[in-house]
Amino acid sequence: MTDFDKMSRRDFFTISGKAGLATMVASAVGVNFGMVQVAEAAVGKGKVTPFRFAILTDAHLFSQPDHKFDAMLEKAVNDVNNMKPLPDFVVYTGDIAQNGKDDQLQKGMKILSKLKMPLKVIPGEHDWYLDMGAAWRGHFGNPTWSFDHKGVHFIGMNSILVRDFWTKAGMSAEERMGVMEMLESPIAGPWGVREEQLDWLKKDVKNLKSDTPIVVFTHSPLWDYYPRWNFQTEDAPEIRGILKKFERVMSFHGHVHQTVYNKIGNMGSVGTLSTSWPWPYPDVKLAHPWSQMNRSDPGNFEDGEGSQYIDLESNFTAMHHYKPFGEMLTPTMKNGFKI
Amino acid sequence: MTNNNRMNVAMGLITSVALFGLLAANPAAAREPFTKAELEAQQKALLDQVNHGRDLWHGTLPSMTTNGLACGNCHPDAAASNPQTFPKYQANLGKVAPLRDMINWCIMAPQMGKALDVNGDDMIAMEAYAFYMHRGKKIEPGLATEQTKPVVVKSGRGFPWKGSGVGYDK
Repeated sequence: MTDFDKMSRRDFFTISGKAGLATMVASAVGVNFGMVQVAEAAVGKGKVTPFRFAILTDAHLFSQPDHKFDAMLEKAVNDVNNMKPLPDFVVYTGDIAQNGKDDQLQKGMKILSKLKMPLKVIPGEHDWYLDMGAAWRGHFGNPTWSFDHKGVHFIGMNSILVRDFWTKAGMSAEERMGVMEMLESPIAGPWGVREEQLDWLKKDVKNLKSDTPIVVFTHSPLWDYYPRWNFQTEDAPEIRGILKKFERVMSFHGHVHQTVYNKIGNMGSVGTLSTSWPWPYPDVKLAHPWSQMNRSDPGNFEDGEGSQYIDLESNFTAMHHYKPFGEMLTPTMKNGFKI
Repeated sequence: MTNNNRMNVAMGLITSVALFGLLAANPAAAREPFTKAELEAQQKALLDQVNHGRDLWHGTLPSMTTNGLACGNCHPDAAASNPQTFPKYQANLGKVAPLRDMINWCIMAPQMGKALDVNGDDMIAMEAYAFYMHRGKKIEPGLATEQTKPVVVKSGRGFPWKGSGVGYDK
């Protein structure tokens, strides 16, 4: 568990303030990341107190003022703020920015600061590769974190790490970012969380009992969905291996901009709706085709986007609800589905 | 059938049979239509257009967008562009439209850019890329109510940016 989970809000801003001016801006706009309440030693089977959390993701904000994606993120924030009951917290699963620019991250923070509840954030590739995460870290701190809440152990990791393709090629920061912005880029290769985070994960869960409910957030899926578009995480098998001792693990990921569910062993994986645009489904046979949403209407800019919330029950089952802006859910998914 | 039509059909048949006989009797006239070098040059010309289309698809022509969006944002690998389903009725255009009209709609509406000349080389390149990525798909004009998919491309490395072709990996 990261240290800042044990800090008060004041402590957190004191520490993160040392990261520089960018973080001071973060404080100024009041983003309440790192504020999830920690319920120490309260995890384990039968100890889950039912609650709701929500996920926002993939806003892909541009620098341009009054861009339509700004309004879409604001709409999703408003939707979450009007949920009944309110989610205990929100997790943002990556890609606040489109081109990794600090002004884009700051714009996202300003919009997300309107959330009524605490926020936790992990990065996506669009947030990261202009400055290798410097601005993102300045705003949000460590991209690898965990916390306990009402009997559940939550984990967030940075899954968009690639091998260095830019140094030998002599690429500028902008060129490196450009490569990563292209979904089907031939250059970057597969993403992963890599050794350091795998070691961290081993230590993080080492002392947890096997009946501990686990929820893990990454930007990319922890299963081999469609590697060409990095709908995968290269070291997902290692992550699943570390987490296989647990009776049940829930995985939520961004990046795919679509509804999708999969299950491998003890891990159920759920893809999330973005607030920017829907990605098409790749030519892959889904094990759970019912989780595929309808084709979005290109004439309706809001169709195919939205938010999602999860209601966790006392026995650590969960009802996942997509909350789209438009009518794109199949009847099977309209009332949510069990993970 | 009128007498005139019967006459035209008969003359057509006679001409065809005569031409076939001439070719059969003179095999030298039935040469391969193109040499290997000519075919390679044609393939290169095609792939040059496909590659140019792929670049345009991913935002290399600034006039195609004013809000930063490119075709590739919603259509990676030209997925869900469904070129094999055109011409078809487009509800957003209110008429049966060819692919190029839909391309220009996407440029003007979601991307808020300037439409391409429908007869220009850039539009040909855009279409070349979309069709090339859907090669082998069944042609089904008018059926796009279900999402269709591009040719599957295995591997996470994708195709080379400055490569020899599109849609396959080295």
